[in-house]
Amino acid sequence: MSLEKKMAELKEREERAYSMGGEEKLQRRREASILNARERIDYFVDPGSFMESGLLGVSSVVEADRERTPGDGKLVGFARVDGRPAGIASNDFTVKGASSSLTNMKKISHVKRVATERGFPLVFFGESSGARMPDNMGSRGMGALLGNDPTQYVRHRESPWATAILGQCYGSSAWYACLSDFTVMRKGSVLAVASASLASVAIGQKVDPEDLGGWKLHDEVTGLIDRVAETDEEALDLIRKFLSYLPSHKNEPPPRALVPEGSDEAAAQVQDILPESRRRVYDVRKIIRSMVDQDSFFELKPRFGRTVVTGLARLDGGTVGIVANNPMYKAGAMDVAGCEKITRFLVLCDSFNIPIVMMVDTPGFVIGIEGERMKAPGKIMNFMTALQMCTVPKLSVIMRKSYGQAYLNMGGGRNSDEVVAWPTAEVSFMDPAYSVQVVTWGRNPSEEEQQQLRKQMERDNSVWGLAEMYSVQSVIRPADTRRHLIKTLEFHTMHLSGGIGKHQLSAWPTTF
Amino acid sequence: MTQQLISEITGTLWKIERHVGDCVEEGDVVMILESMKMEIPVEATMAGTIKELLVAEGESVEEGDLLCVIE
Repeated sequence: MSLEKKMAELKEREERAYSMGGEEKLQRRREASILNARERIDYFVDPGSFMESGLLGVSSVVEADRERTPGDGKLVGFARVDGRPAGIASNDFTVKGASSSLTNMKKISHVKRVATERGFPLVFFGESSGARMPDNMGSRGMGALLGNDPTQYVRHRESPWATAILGQCYGSSAWYACLSDFTVMRKGSVLAVASASLASVAIGQKVDPEDLGGWKLHDEVTGLIDRVAETDEEALDLIRKFLSYLPSHKNEPPPRALVPEGSDEAAAQVQDILPESRRRVYDVRKIIRSMVDQDSFFELKPRFGRTVVTGLARLDGGTVGIVANNPMYKAGAMDVAGCEKITRFLVLCDSFNIPIVMMVDTPGFVIGIEGERMKAPGKIMNFMTALQMCTVPKLSVIMRKSYGQAYLNMGGGRNSDEVVAWPTAEVSFMDPAYSVQVVTWGRNPSEEEQQQLRKQMERDNSVWGLAEMYSVQSVIRPADTRRHLIKTLEFHTMHLSGGIGKHQLSAWPTTF
Repeated sequence: MTQQLISEITGTLWKIERHVGDCVEEGDVVMILESMKMEIPVEATMAGTIKELLVAEGESVEEGDLLCVIE
């Protein structure tokens, strides 16, 4: 065969690959305003930077599928995202529902290995139906296709992973979503072990796909996702934004950004947000937003475990991870979901060299039967162990209440590298209202004696005791918090290792 | 369309701010719970009229209890 003919065949094969699952299916997506797998890549990466790998891959299991499986339903390659390299895996649902088979699993495995070994993020655009049938059927199908790669579903966090759930996600795209450091879900998508129709066939359960694995479930109940988006485009924008805070891999510090004007001025207003009365609640996100670089706060899991707030932000251009109690919800008493949310966030920060700032105002952990049934003591110790194993700088700011075990979990004492407090801080084992009852247990003190005890206890809870015995390093004015944290981080940068932590949490699970 | 306001925490109903028949805007404080010695406002999640209040001041509430119906 002449070179000319070979070239013509190459062109023809390329064109077949670019035709994806055919015009009819692609048109249906256009009508529904849903991007296809190639459009998602084009939208996400820096223009013209995508270098595809495996364009000519097709089914290699079922002979009759060779002509019907352009790209084998999963597109992978390398690209630049905001100037930095990234690996991309985009499911093409128009080709056999992007189901997993031999060729496309090799493609995913390759891009994953290169991203991990060469050190850059991996991004998944999830939309897949699960294992392809009949390819995976029977013992020979299973033996040939599944379980042959022991690294397939394990997370060591060498480089960041992010997932956008952009349609039905069962099987591999659901698993990768749960292994990712950041997962965003477009409304109307489903993330579940298996589809509603399989649930109906297999266990006779009639369930709406939205109830089975829709955005509301994961946003508010499971916490398996970090953010929700209205459109494919918004979901991809959020991944790009998330990655802008992270290093390309574990062996470099996070990138620095310019500091927006007005950041220092806004920080001076922090004091006005804190209510005068210790009984009044407020939304801690207002304090965070005014304290960090303007418009830099990127909240994670905003509607899950709302007793705490977690998110990435910048202080003087450098990435920090914020962990804060939010008195707005359950008075800031941390519940099981809140503990799970913080633990997962600490793992992210420790894995990618992100210093942690804890903003403390909590009456303690939620007590009562609800939490105990959900293993509250275990969750609290999980959170505590994670905090103590973090080797990135940890700074703690006691704004108001810090009581009991929560004092330790929120970085009190030597559980963070520096503790500072506002003059409004109050620290004790228990709120005076309860401790009066505990210390007078078994006798009947007069109203007057109770009042006196309570006043004494309130005085004893003030921050001055901690400052006098150097259990907080400084008492600062709220308006100075930003400046103080920036200065402290200059000294607490991990100078010995060039800003790189020990990543003791990097092999921790992804769900708690 | 109706909206049910549910207690997010176990505690007592400290103060009722708005009564049956009152018009409320989204974000208005309808009542204040007391738990962990803190005042916890319960806000309307949509604009409408208060149709029903299911607890009285001083009564204890459990997490998940229905507090108020807005129509």
